[in-house]
Amino acid sequence: MRLLFLQKEELEPFVSRLIAWQEVVGPKAKKNRFVFDKLESPAELRLDYDTTILPPKKYFFQPQQDLIRFSPEGFTGCIEPKPRIIFGVHPYDIKAISMLDYLFSDGKKDWNYLANRQAATIVGINVHQVFKTAFFESMGASIVTKGYDLFLTDIGEEGFVVEVATDKGEALLAYGHFTQVTPDQAQKRRKILYGQSDRCSQKLFNLPEEVSEKVALSFYHPIWEEMASRCFSCGACNLVCPTCYCFDVQDMWNLDQESGIRFRTWDGCLTEDFAKVTVQGGTENFRQDRSSRYRHRIMRKAVYLNSKLGGPACVGCGRCASACPADLANPVPVLNKIMEG
Amino acid sequence: MNHPYSYADDREEKLITTEGAEREEENIFLPKPARVLQAQPMGRTEKYFRLAFSDGSSMGHQPGQIVEASLFGYGEIPLGIASSPTREGYFDLLIRKAGRVSTALWNLEIGDTMYIRGPLGKGFPVDEFKGHDVLIVAGGIGLCPTRSMIEYIEDRREEFGHFTLFFGARTPKDQLFPNDLARWREEIDWIEYHETVDQGSPEWKGNVGVITTLFAKTSISKGCRVIICGPPIMYKFVIKELKKLGIPDAHIYVDLERRMKCGVGKCGHCQINGLYVCTDGPVFNYARIKNLEEAF
Repeated sequence: MRLLFLQKEELEPFVSRLIAWQEVVGPKAKKNRFVFDKLESPAELRLDYDTTILPPKKYFFQPQQDLIRFSPEGFTGCIEPKPRIIFGVHPYDIKAISMLDYLFSDGKKDWNYLANRQAATIVGINVHQVFKTAFFESMGASIVTKGYDLFLTDIGEEGFVVEVATDKGEALLAYGHFTQVTPDQAQKRRKILYGQSDRCSQKLFNLPEEVSEKVALSFYHPIWEEMASRCFSCGACNLVCPTCYCFDVQDMWNLDQESGIRFRTWDGCLTEDFAKVTVQGGTENFRQDRSSRYRHRIMRKAVYLNSKLGGPACVGCGRCASACPADLANPVPVLNKIMEG
Repeated sequence: MNHPYSYADDREEKLITTEGAEREEENIFLPKPARVLQAQPMGRTEKYFRLAFSDGSSMGHQPGQIVEASLFGYGEIPLGIASSPTREGYFDLLIRKAGRVSTALWNLEIGDTMYIRGPLGKGFPVDEFKGHDVLIVAGGIGLCPTRSMIEYIEDRREEFGHFTLFFGARTPKDQLFPNDLARWREEIDWIEYHETVDQGSPEWKGNVGVITTLFAKTSISKGCRVIICGPPIMYKFVIKELKKLGIPDAHIYVDLERRMKCGVGKCGHCQINGLYVCTDGPVFNYARIKNLEEAF
């Protein structure tokens, strides 16, 4: 592992030079929350953030992404990646991006996502403040060892120990003043990254593997009905999730009424019409009940995607729990209750 | 509690698949233009289309596979391919006028262009049917995807045993592919065809009743391989009849319909529990999905 050191006062000049070179996005304050957004100056960067409203997947899998442009002359695909540095990504979000990389590569490769992903450089940062509903420790997502290009560990007043993980990360080094890391600094890094536990207030009482096995057998558990009775089917939990990747595809005319775009937008399995089809003489909804949709989301995270990912498709960021207007999207109490019974 | 990284090592390697990968730049959403060779309204709300890819390429599909058909500015819908791969130089689709996209497609005429992605998904495993008696039970528009298998059997008749087709429609006016039906009623040497309608009409001289009443009209062998395709309600009643005949679940194939947006196992709309209808199906072995609550 290649480690370097960046002094605290060297962070601003480093980020400044990166901004002058390429688009840099990072966590910024927005009212009482944080968002990933384009940095105009290094002073906007808030590496002490707890979590962002939306995960950084929005740069690869945009809320609305053009797929095809059409006109009377014909049609063309729009894979138009833009080089971008995503500065300050937490380990759980890095893990979620790795999952999406796999899911969009699985089977037919989705270059509309993958090209954006390849064009991005990811700079990770350790978690300073833990978000109130986060449970990433329980999901094994407090530590990542790949999926980033550089990883910064804030070791206090001195500065950051910087892990250089890839050539893309290496390319950023020319923009900053990095020095050799001392054994003492390296030790501090290990302690901060690997030596901390019990920081999340939300905890699963069992390992994800155990949860997965039992939840798979809990299709008819009363908890689905119980929780979903208060669900508004709004899909907010889906929209803020770093591993949700369902989408809708639609066409839209331009004002000229001759040309237009075919685009995809984020979609959510909690919404009522997600599995609805038009059949002879009406419609058929394969997940008509709110409880079946509520169950589908938890099952997909805890069980269904395990066969592809080798583990649960949840990183414990806690965004769904905070986004839910009815306060029922948090999977932790649901999974713990299933494990108890 | 601080759990260790829960992913197995080999999975961990697979997670990062963009690293060092050759950039292919292939946009999986790009369709191919296809020219309308024939267009014929059929039934009350259906229209039959015969098409050929404008670049002269062939569909190269298996019976039972699907396509995403579209018109720019309106959108894309999944459709079962209604013709057999043994009939080269064209492919058939049937459009039911139901929503915005299907209405726009329905309005196309000879010489117009339709945009097609496919073939997609898994069709009927024809090798599993070869050497066996075959029963196809089709309800309504379910005749459309199964027609690809009916034609396949007709064209490679010596490879299959006794072939029986049950077709049920709501009324005589809802019957699809009238030319085919007329032929199947006559050509008894290769096909045993039985039909019914839920509600008759003064001119209708045939059977009236649900599709399961056709089981009394003939005998089906125990070793028969079965395909079922129709409205969601139909499956459980047909399967009940097959059970009475002693046909094992593993010899029954169901062709399912779901909402689909991408057709390539990403968008999530067609999921039945953990299965994607667009890539794991739309044809499923019944034994594999019979316990999935969301399947029927």
